[in-house]
Amino acid sequence: MTTILVVDDEFLIADLLATELEDQGYRVLQAHHGKKALEILAHERPALIVTDFMMPLMNGLEMAQAIKSQPQYRDLPIILLSGAQGAIARRYPELFAAVYDKPIELWRLSQAIRALIGPARLAGEGG
Amino acid sequence: MPRSLRRLTSGVEGLDSILGGGLVEGSTYIVQGHPGSGKTILANQVAFHRAAGGDSALYVTLLAESHERLFQFLSTMDFYDPAQVGSRLNYVSAFQTMQEEGLDGVVRLLRREIPRQKASLLILDGLLNAREKAATTLDVKTFIAALQGHVAFASCTALLLTSSNFDDGSGEYTMVDGVLELREEAFGARAVRCLRVRKSRGSAALTGTHQCEITSRGMVTYPRLEALLAQPSVPDQPSEARTTSGVETLDRLLGGGLPVGSITLLTGPSGTGKTSYGLQFLAQSPPDEPALHFGFYETPARLERKAQALGMDLSPLLNAGRLHILWQAPTANLLDGLGQRLLETVRRHGVKRLFLDSFAGFTRAAVDPNRLTEFFTALINELRARGVTVLATCEPYSLHGPQVTLSPPEIGSMVDNLLLVRFAERNAQFLRQLLIIKVRDSAFDPLPREFIITRQGIQLAEAPSGAVKALAGMAVSGDLPL
Repeated sequence: MTTILVVDDEFLIADLLATELEDQGYRVLQAHHGKKALEILAHERPALIVTDFMMPLMNGLEMAQAIKSQPQYRDLPIILLSGAQGAIARRYPELFAAVYDKPIELWRLSQAIRALIGPARLAGEGG
Repeated sequence: MPRSLRRLTSGVEGLDSILGGGLVEGSTYIVQGHPGSGKTILANQVAFHRAAGGDSALYVTLLAESHERLFQFLSTMDFYDPAQVGSRLNYVSAFQTMQEEGLDGVVRLLRREIPRQKASLLILDGLLNAREKAATTLDVKTFIAALQGHVAFASCTALLLTSSNFDDGSGEYTMVDGVLELREEAFGARAVRCLRVRKSRGSAALTGTHQCEITSRGMVTYPRLEALLAQPSVPDQPSEARTTSGVETLDRLLGGGLPVGSITLLTGPSGTGKTSYGLQFLAQSPPDEPALHFGFYETPARLERKAQALGMDLSPLLNAGRLHILWQAPTANLLDGLGQRLLETVRRHGVKRLFLDSFAGFTRAAVDPNRLTEFFTALINELRARGVTVLATCEPYSLHGPQVTLSPPEIGSMVDNLLLVRFAERNAQFLRQLLIIKVRDSAFDPLPREFIITRQGIQLAEAPSGAVKALAGMAVSGDLPL
C-alpha cells in the first residue's frame, strides 16, 4: 500500500490532508513535528512526505536536511507546504520536490502527489 | 538604592507608558479579554516589534485555529512582516501535543523549544484551552508554575492569552507577574475599547482604564492623560513676560498683552466671532512662537478662507512652518487620543501659541464626563509648563441673555484669563461686546469694548459712554430711557 507521511503541527491541516489522501486510497501516517517524523522513518518507508515549515522541535527545513543527508532517502520526494516561508524553502531545490504556498487547493496537491508517486496502490499490489 | 527592572519595549503605542516603562524582562503576563477584544493583535504586534529589533519570538497556539488564517488577518496590519515569519518569529501549534501528552507534554515541548529558538518572547495563545484540558485547577497552576520557571530561567518574557476572565482570587492570577485586561465598554450607541492593568508586580503601572483602538498600526493605547501627566512632564517655569493677544487695543487693556504660558478662555455664543479672533491671535504670532490651530469645526480649507475674509493670508505662515492646523471632525474621537495628538504636535513643532477651538470638542469626546475636570487640569498644566500661550473657546448654552454657563463649570477657575464676547443691543442694533472678566495676577481695564469684525480683522472700539446692563447683554446708553 502506498504510504504518505504528513508532517504538520497544526491539527486541522494535518487532519484535512490525511482525510483527503486516505480518500484517494493512500495510507497516511501523521507526525506533528520533524523529530516525530524522523522517529517514524526509523520503522516506516513512506513513498512521499508532505510537510509544513514552522513546527516545534524541528521545522520542515531541518527535517528535510536530516532526511536527505542519509543516502537511502535521496529519492524520497518531500513536498513543502508553507505560508510565509515558501521563499526560504525555494532556496533548497535539492531538498524539496515541490514547494507550495498555503492556502493550496487540495486537488492541486493531489495532482502533484500523483505526478510524483502515481495513484495509490492497494495492499497486495506491491511497492 | 532599589534596583530597577530590565524592560522590553512593547511596540504598542502608549502601552509602555501605561506599564511604567515597558514589559518587565523575564516576567509572565496574562492578557485576558473576550474574543475580538484585540489580544491576538496586541500579542502579534509585540512579537513583530521584538523581531524587527533583532530578538526572537515564539508564538505557540493551543487552539485548533490555523496559523494561515492568522497570517491572512495579520497581513492587513502595518506591522506584519512576512520576512520575519519562520526566521525570527516562529509560530507553532502545541495543540496535538496537549491532546496526546497533556499539559506536561506542552511544558516539555516549550522547555526545549524556547532555547532552540533562542526566544526572548513567548506568546501562548489559548490558555483557556489549557484550563479546559486540565483535570483540576491544580494542573493549570502547576502548568503555569513550570512555564514561569522555564521562561524566567531563559530571561524570556511570556504573554499568556486567554479569553476567560480570571477573577482576582484565582491561582493563575496570583502566580503571574502581570495581568492586562482588554474589553469593550458601551456608552449609548458608542463602544470604546479599553485596556486596564489589573496587576503589575514590581512596577508602578498607570491605574484605571485606558482607551484604545485598533487601527492599521495595530493596537493603539492612550494612557489616561490625568494619570500620565499627573505632574507636568517638564518643570513649570512661570514667566513675567507678555505676548500679543493679536489685537493691539486688547493688549493695552490687558496691561501689556497676555502673560506668556497662560490659558485664556474666550467664551461667547455662536456667531460672536470667537474663531475669527482665534485666527487673528495665530496670525499675529511673533516669529519665535510657532502657532497651532487645534479645532473641531472648520476644516483647514475653510479656516484659510475665513482668514482671507478678515484680511489675513495664512499660507505664508503655513508654508514657513510657523503655523500648523490640526483638524479633527468631532465625530468619534477618543478623549485621550485628542489630548495626546495635541501634546505630540506641540512637542514636535515646539508650539508656543495655541488656539483651541473649542473645549466642547473634548467634552463631546469624553464618554465619561466625570473625568473632564481632571483631564483639562492635566492638559492645561502641561501646556503651561511648556510655555504655550493658549486661547481656548467655550460656548455658553444661551445665545443671548445674562447667563454665562460653562461646561464643565470648573473650567472658569482652571484658566488664567477669561474673556467674554456677547451680543448687545443698542438703538435697535445688534452689536458685539468684549469684556475682560479676569486676568490672573494682573490689573486690567474692566470696561466693555465694542468688538468689531472688519475686512482688516478684529478691532476694539470704545463702548458707548455710560452704557448700562452690558453684563446682561442688553447694553443701552445711560442717557436713553430704560
